[in-house]
Amino acid sequence: MTIGVKKVSLQRTTRDQIFLPAILEGLLTTARHFFKNTMTKGMGDVDTIRYGEPGVDPKSYYPERFRGVHRLMFRDDGSVRCVACMCCSTVCPARCIYIVAEDREDNNEKGPATFVIDELKCVVCGLCVEACPCDAIRMDTRTHMTPTEAREDAVLRKVDLMSRGGPSVAVQGGLGADYRADAPAADPRFVGR
Amino acid sequence: MTSSDPPVPSRPRSATIILPPEPPPPPAAARSAAPTTVKPPENRAAPAPAAPNLSAAPRPGDATVKLTIDGETVEVRKGTNVLEAAKLVGRDICHFCYHPGLSIAASCRQCLVEVEKNPKLQPSCQQVVGEGMVVHTESPAVLEARRALLEFTLKNHPIDCPICDKAGECTLQRHYMDHDHQLTRVDVPKIRKPKHKDIGREIILDAERCILCSRCIRFCEEIPGTGELTMTFRGDHEKLDIADGHRLDNAYSINVVDICPVGALTAKDFRFAVRAWELKATPTTCQGCATGCAIELHHKHEAAHRIVPRHDADVNGHWMCDEGRYTYKELDADARIRHARVDGQDVPLGHAIATVARRLRGRAKKVAAVFSGTATNEANRALADLAALLGAERFVVGRVPGKTDELLRDADKNANLRGAIAASGAAKHEGELGLELAGRAYEAVIFLDGTFELSDVVRSALGAITSVCLSDRVTPLAQACSIVLPATSWAETLGSVINRQGRLRVLQPAWRPEGDRRERADLIRDIALAMGERDLGTNRERARAVAEEFDNEELLALTASPVAARPTLLRFSHTRG
Repeated sequence: MTIGVKKVSLQRTTRDQIFLPAILEGLLTTARHFFKNTMTKGMGDVDTIRYGEPGVDPKSYYPERFRGVHRLMFRDDGSVRCVACMCCSTVCPARCIYIVAEDREDNNEKGPATFVIDELKCVVCGLCVEACPCDAIRMDTRTHMTPTEAREDAVLRKVDLMSRGGPSVAVQGGLGADYRADAPAADPRFVGR
Repeated sequence: MTSSDPPVPSRPRSATIILPPEPPPPPAAARSAAPTTVKPPENRAAPAPAAPNLSAAPRPGDATVKLTIDGETVEVRKGTNVLEAAKLVGRDICHFCYHPGLSIAASCRQCLVEVEKNPKLQPSCQQVVGEGMVVHTESPAVLEARRALLEFTLKNHPIDCPICDKAGECTLQRHYMDHDHQLTRVDVPKIRKPKHKDIGREIILDAERCILCSRCIRFCEEIPGTGELTMTFRGDHEKLDIADGHRLDNAYSINVVDICPVGALTAKDFRFAVRAWELKATPTTCQGCATGCAIELHHKHEAAHRIVPRHDADVNGHWMCDEGRYTYKELDADARIRHARVDGQDVPLGHAIATVARRLRGRAKKVAAVFSGTATNEANRALADLAALLGAERFVVGRVPGKTDELLRDADKNANLRGAIAASGAAKHEGELGLELAGRAYEAVIFLDGTFELSDVVRSALGAITSVCLSDRVTPLAQACSIVLPATSWAETLGSVINRQGRLRVLQPAWRPEGDRRERADLIRDIALAMGERDLGTNRERARAVAEEFDNEELLALTASPVAARPTLLRFSHTRG
């Protein structure tokens, strides 16, 4: 089978060579959008964020699932919810979470002695939040990691992460009181019992 | 009982490693009275640890039975159980309480199978094979029973996998994912039992996680024979505990952590240190004593984290001693020697080897070559060749004797004293080495390893002569010697040792040596080359020769291809428990 050859004429017409009609077409488009989005009622169809204007909080424009800088949540007694299970550091594709576990010597038994996130390595994928069985790590701060002057300032420690944190009342282990309502359908392998 | 529990001591978090206390050295008089020439000790058959459940594969001469498992007819050894027989046809029947090295309790009922012409499901661990028996291991009734029993097992289980050290290598997790996989239907509170109870020198008990399989109880009764553990109370409130006034302090106590199918028994040493799925496992041989137990070294990022036993029916069965588990501490990264030292200064390895060659050849006339019971056959044989070139006097040294018992621990704490003595030929005793060094009988001495007990006189004598030490870590001997060459530790070495039975045991490298560290045989080869002598052969060539001499396939495979020495990630190892 041979490949056919298509001949394309690259000859410019007079209209192309003048350029003026094309420039006017472009200006017309610009002008149409300008008047539509500034003069018409309801500002046309463009959702412009009036960033920086007084009385406008840009965070309220962020989607609910926006992934910002990390934070660590507390229990009622103010202790960190993390139990150092290493799920987040295991699942992290950028390997930017470093945890050293310690014995807490109370009923919670295990906790993080150090919890460090290198925000420069972080790829903001949110897998750590999904992996966390204790609702300890979250990325719902709706703030970006601010640029820092030194690299080590972007390495957040437990204190920094908890300073953004808040109390969480999620049931430890993930199952809420009414888990039955959300229970998935029976495993197909055991259907027919 | 619970209110008086002592608090759990926290594991030491400092970087310094605390070695278990060494036994006191024998008195000097006893050592000087030792014979002039070291005779190789007799090879002794190891007292076989009790292993009541042999493999179902018939050995020559065994009476056999034919049965059908899932439509496949198989011929097995008479008297074996259905669970072992099913392994031969590739069916791994899920179980908790059955362990091949222990007696059969049939208490977990997890291994139920359907046997035709039998009205009820039978526990396959207890069901002895019969002629013409027809077994179904995956029929609907069996699957349903497995799922239901797992639901019972999980009824009071706290499901605290995030804080459980066993997570990732837990039998309950594995069986749940394979056979149950449903949410709990129980909405009454779970029975609470003591958590993190300190029950022994090495062990912490979490009675809530316990699934009452009684493996640990049977282990303590049958293997060390001490019987510290027992079940208390009944029904829902039944829990594992130590007998009143006792503590789980036997010399083999950490084995209960390995055989525990869940995280009820955890080792203090490994507690919260690292997650199981982050570890890599390298099969190798314990260097703690002359028994040479088959072990797996678990490591992450060139740091060892624990040692677990590997099954070897001829040497250690399924078990190993607590003392041997702590030998990984000598692989401590802080104490490693990474660069050669000459007269107290770090120098490139090539310079150090040239210096050794010059000093041995130039000034020295009388040289002592000190073989080591803690080094491999390959290293000792290389030193024997070098000693022949130099016309050196030969000595064999090793660690001081330690505790022993009837089971696995040997008083000889050197992994390879037999190999060292065989390689050195007629060698002198270490007591004489001390005397002759103190008497300035030699102008140069080469130590194959850093383990040698030093007196002050010997220390000052070593400073005055050319003393070369091939050491992997900072030891008193390495500090006293004028030249230290960085050698590989046993976790980085490819080689072999000869245990107390005269068997060849294989050492497999777990990670690449850091810095300038090289195999001892390679260092000795370089010294000989620098002296202008013949090529003595690399470590790999020597290992190959040893493998062919002993007809050892494992070592032969390791020398043939570096791929054979690749460690496995525990994350992908689904055959534990």
